[in-house]
Amino acid sequence: MRTGRTIMATIAALALSTSVAFAEDIKVGFNGDLSASPSALSGQAGVLGIQAAIDDINAVGGLLGRKVILVTRDDLSQPPKSIQNMSDLIDNEKVTVVFGPTNSGNALAWKHIPNQKHVPSIGMVGSGTDITKPGPGGGDNYMFRVSMVDRSQVAGLMVYAKNNPKSKKIGYMAETTGYGQGGLKDIQEIGDLQGIKPVAVERFGVADTDMTSQLNKMKEAGVDTIVVWAQGTPTGQLLRSMEKINYFPLVLSSWAADNKSFFDAAGEKLAELPIFMRTLTDDLTPKQQKLFARVSAKLPSTPAFPFVVHGYDAMMLYAEAVKQAGSDDGQKVHDALENLKGTYDGYAKTYKAPFSATQHEALTTADFKWAHWQAGKLRSYSDDIIKKLTAADFKI
Amino acid sequence: MLAPYIQAMLSGLAVGGIYALIALSFSITFTTTNTLNFSQGEFVSFGAFVGITVLLFMSGATSLSAIPLSASGGLNYPIVLTVAGVLSGLIGIVIFVAAVRPFTGKPGMSWVMSTIGFGILLQNVGLLVWGPAPANLPAPLGDNVIRVLGAGVRPQELLDLSAAVVIMIAYDLLMRKSRVGKAMRAVAHSPQTASLMGINVQAMMIGAYAASSALAGIAGVLIAPVSTASLFMGLGFALKAFAGAIIGGLSNARGCIFGGFALGVIESYVGLWQAQWREIAVFVLIIIVLAVKPNGLFGARLVEKV
Repeated sequence: MRTGRTIMATIAALALSTSVAFAEDIKVGFNGDLSASPSALSGQAGVLGIQAAIDDINAVGGLLGRKVILVTRDDLSQPPKSIQNMSDLIDNEKVTVVFGPTNSGNALAWKHIPNQKHVPSIGMVGSGTDITKPGPGGGDNYMFRVSMVDRSQVAGLMVYAKNNPKSKKIGYMAETTGYGQGGLKDIQEIGDLQGIKPVAVERFGVADTDMTSQLNKMKEAGVDTIVVWAQGTPTGQLLRSMEKINYFPLVLSSWAADNKSFFDAAGEKLAELPIFMRTLTDDLTPKQQKLFARVSAKLPSTPAFPFVVHGYDAMMLYAEAVKQAGSDDGQKVHDALENLKGTYDGYAKTYKAPFSATQHEALTTADFKWAHWQAGKLRSYSDDIIKKLTAADFKI
Repeated sequence: MLAPYIQAMLSGLAVGGIYALIALSFSITFTTTNTLNFSQGEFVSFGAFVGITVLLFMSGATSLSAIPLSASGGLNYPIVLTVAGVLSGLIGIVIFVAAVRPFTGKPGMSWVMSTIGFGILLQNVGLLVWGPAPANLPAPLGDNVIRVLGAGVRPQELLDLSAAVVIMIAYDLLMRKSRVGKAMRAVAHSPQTASLMGINVQAMMIGAYAASSALAGIAGVLIAPVSTASLFMGLGFALKAFAGAIIGGLSNARGCIFGGFALGVIESYVGLWQAQWREIAVFVLIIIVLAVKPNGLFGARLVEKV
């Protein structure tokens, strides 16, 4: 009896001491595709950025004097797995924030979970417009983002088309996936706001290798400017099909055109045609170059570098919020994120009050850069139209 | 004025050739073993990546993304085709022995699940070996657009089309003229009778799976320069090819080939009208064909004795 009691007491003491040890660390989570689809490269790059930020935080004594640990979960780009990971990270691992996911669709599948559990989620890869929109029935919105946003990119592309004197007949094209159709909806809505009437709208499959039929219709309608929303490979195939029928309109594209998959599919020469927006180009600032040098050995592909930056800045903004709240409690950090005081000098930009109760995007159209490919590099793009644009021209 | 229609025909035939090749590979196993390999798409992707890996070694490049554009020149591409075909064929034997043979001749359709499962296995092994990123397989005849009557086509698309036609004619001759072909047809007709006639039925079935998988692997190497290789590219092609095989009649190799080509051309012309209706048009066509001719346009009528 007595030995039994002693053992029990020992176990209890041990359990207590481990739980105390756990409480000393702040656990942050990443949930996203790290292995199963082409976008996994973006997820891997994002994790590199988060880890770099955590290393920097731990090097100066951690957060609130506690060590920060990253727990990653691969969702294999599958929504059910992603939902399961979310519960695992929040309920079992007790993470205080979740970064990710890689695929926008997965964020839409679980965005109710952070809201219900009051654990902030900061996206740093997926660009789907609806991810950060408040859920139905009101309540606090725990979805934040430090990344590209589809609708903000579309706003940029449409203002360019509107103000380009050479764009007289505009056509829209999109792939038939959720990504393509979501983007097409944004294009049509912002096109309406800008007073643009498309003369043709065409769709194509994500695995199509030949879009000449659709392009011939664009050509016959006299389209001189195509706004296209598709992933990297099909956007590349679209340009190859343009070459087949010798038809080269101005192409304004989603940022998928910055992917290596786009560059490989289109080839070096055709890849130079589209203009698009992204958060960084290869024309890095000295500060960004330092980060690049630090992670480049582990970076899966150079065009994925912006996700390192998003991941780093997202983790740092979270750390700022924890410091301001003086706690890692989800509700308090959420409120601190929405009212961040002071400025944080990040890698993408200097953040000043990045979030508010209604604005959950740290990066918006004004922070995006125009880009295009030149001799195999992602260069900044500028012309007279872009130089003349003012904030008032943008409609969103 | 006519150029868009010529373009649609050419583009449709180019894609259709690939559908036809994979449709034929479905037909081969169906006629001899009464089963289908539902992981045919994964074999297509697998073949493409085996091809790229062979090129990687031959060109001495350091990574999949660093293969020079000239790597496929000379005899390299035929070597790549052969290696991809042989390796896929060998794995085809594995899938037959491990996932199909235990269930042949038994009631139920367990082989549907087991072949799908094998495909998932193959894809995951592929992800471990090659990673999720797409890779380029340089085209052997260059990448410059060839103009035919105002329409544009790439050398690789013409190569795919001619390779598909050559392979199909060779297969047709083999089946109709050679002893092996006749033995295969005998097994397809009635395994029991063929066995009584001294034909090694097991060997024929293994051969059918090897040939079918080899064909899928070769198709992968042929498609990769057009579509860029990814471990996820095969499924879409295989699904369309299967649709083509159903239209033509799974039990008739020539019918499958016709179905594959027809599907490519129909898709292309529907795209000229309303691209978003393409998939709908294809499957409406399948429903109509099956309603009128349940075994496909050229399929043999099955008489089930009860």
